[in-house]
Amino acid sequence: MLWFERQLVATMTRHLDPDGRSRVSNYVEGSLTAMPEHLRLCVGAESLALGLWARLPGRLGGALREGSAVSLQALELHPLNPVRQYARLMRSLVLFAEQELQPGAGG
Amino acid sequence: MTTLDTEIVIIGSGAGGAVTAATLARAGRDVTVVEEGPWVDPGALEPFSLDEMVAKYRHQGGAAALGAPPVAYAEGRCVGGSTEINSGLWHRLPDALADDWRERHQIEEFTPEALGRYADRIEEELTVSKLPGAPPESSAVLARGADALDWRSVEFARVFRYDQDHRGVKQTMARTFIPAAVDAGATMLPNCRVDRLLRSGDRIVGVRCTRRRPDGTDEDLTLHADHVIVCGGAIQTPALLQRSGLRRNIGGGLKLHPTIRVAARFRHALDHADVPMHRITEFGPGLEIGGSASRRSHVALALSDSTADYDDAMDDWEKVAVYYAATHDGVGRVTTLPGLRAPLVTYRLSEGDMSRLGRGLVLLGEALLAAGATELYPSMTGAPVVRRREDLVSWWDAVTRSRTNLMTVHMTSSVRIGEDRDRSGADSYGRIWGMRNLRVNDASLLPDAPGVNPQSTIMTLALRNADQFLADG
Repeated sequence: MLWFERQLVATMTRHLDPDGRSRVSNYVEGSLTAMPEHLRLCVGAESLALGLWARLPGRLGGALREGSAVSLQALELHPLNPVRQYARLMRSLVLFAEQELQPGAGG
Repeated sequence: MTTLDTEIVIIGSGAGGAVTAATLARAGRDVTVVEEGPWVDPGALEPFSLDEMVAKYRHQGGAAALGAPPVAYAEGRCVGGSTEINSGLWHRLPDALADDWRERHQIEEFTPEALGRYADRIEEELTVSKLPGAPPESSAVLARGADALDWRSVEFARVFRYDQDHRGVKQTMARTFIPAAVDAGATMLPNCRVDRLLRSGDRIVGVRCTRRRPDGTDEDLTLHADHVIVCGGAIQTPALLQRSGLRRNIGGGLKLHPTIRVAARFRHALDHADVPMHRITEFGPGLEIGGSASRRSHVALALSDSTADYDDAMDDWEKVAVYYAATHDGVGRVTTLPGLRAPLVTYRLSEGDMSRLGRGLVLLGEALLAAGATELYPSMTGAPVVRRREDLVSWWDAVTRSRTNLMTVHMTSSVRIGEDRDRSGADSYGRIWGMRNLRVNDASLLPDAPGVNPQSTIMTLALRNADQFLADG
């Protein structure tokens, strides 16, 4: 996983102990690796672009760098479709793993 | 490099490949089935769980057809193919559709009566039946909602075998036709990816594979064969044919059943072990309404898709289940890209599709509210949560290409059959045009999207074509 992807996964993961957080991270990494190459390339390019943005000085970059709830929501509601889809993909992977790793996931 | 000889190579072990393998092996033919994925004990993993996704899904479920909007899709990649990961629902091809396809695509022996005879044989072998006893509550709400609105609904049969206590076991290919083929003498090669077909003029003389050994290393394997039957599904089959230099009418015309989903919260708990077997058929063909897998993780994903605050609903997740509306007018393409293993899949929804998805979402909302739902979360970015029927109209405007999140598990029609060489990739029985010993026998052959679960149509067609292969000598 790229730097920004790790930051995002860490920020999005909730409620789990360190071992659970590590398993979520491993699952996301495995899923990104297993994706079709052309999709992984697109996701990687967005991660690099957003990672650069997050390293910019100032308020915008700072919020993204710290992974605040406000900045995550900004990504999910971003006017650019690829940015929204990117945020949705990462959120879906984290959410799926988080829920599946809790007891009684099947109901 | 290992080299093996066989009479017939079948590539893929899903609904098409397994039926073909069992039929030909039982007739005494020398059959080898090559499957890219591993053998996974069909009872070992919880259906729709993370472990299952990692073990049995291609790309761990993370694939999408690019377009506006993109459509996420899932395929099986294990012995048994997608029959190992689907819900096991069974819906025969409607007679009117068989008649329509026969005429529009000039398909021989494609009458409802002829197809019905093959479907009877499959249904008997797989013990296709309806659930004994009352349906699960997550399914019953669809029937109740339809009844309250005076709409038609149907309980689908499933490919399940039930014991005396009504416990059902899905009759996947790894439990049925694959063991039947092996018992009849077929050889099964799991963990073996076919890289390309070996061609000599108008014949395929074998296939070149990469086989994963138990120790994790790879070996090259060449299988020489008199006949090759490709059954990799509507994405992988055209990709393999294209990699092997066969491109005429191969990969275009891909059809999907894109679904738009709603997470519905009720006042009472719903069971989550089964996929709902009821469908609202009032608005078909063209628009189908049904239910999806609803483990806690699926509920969370569906709730989060609306981007509304869903923590409260998630705390109550046992009262939430996921439902969908599906349409199928758009068209897509599978294209191999130089140097890449996975093909590029694209799909364009028609304006009619977008309109039907909006209508379907509102109708689905009406049915769920009529069945007692208290909150509805649609899978559209920024769309409002709806609690009253009069608020459903707000969803019409929210269904746009940029805000709608779609997915599908039904892919068909990328190597369509028919006698018109200008429009089809294969003849009426799946023989690839211009090739003497190469056939396709899977979901790719369907000339159009059936608008209902395609498993029955795929298996029926596979059995028909396998019989024709034997008749051809």
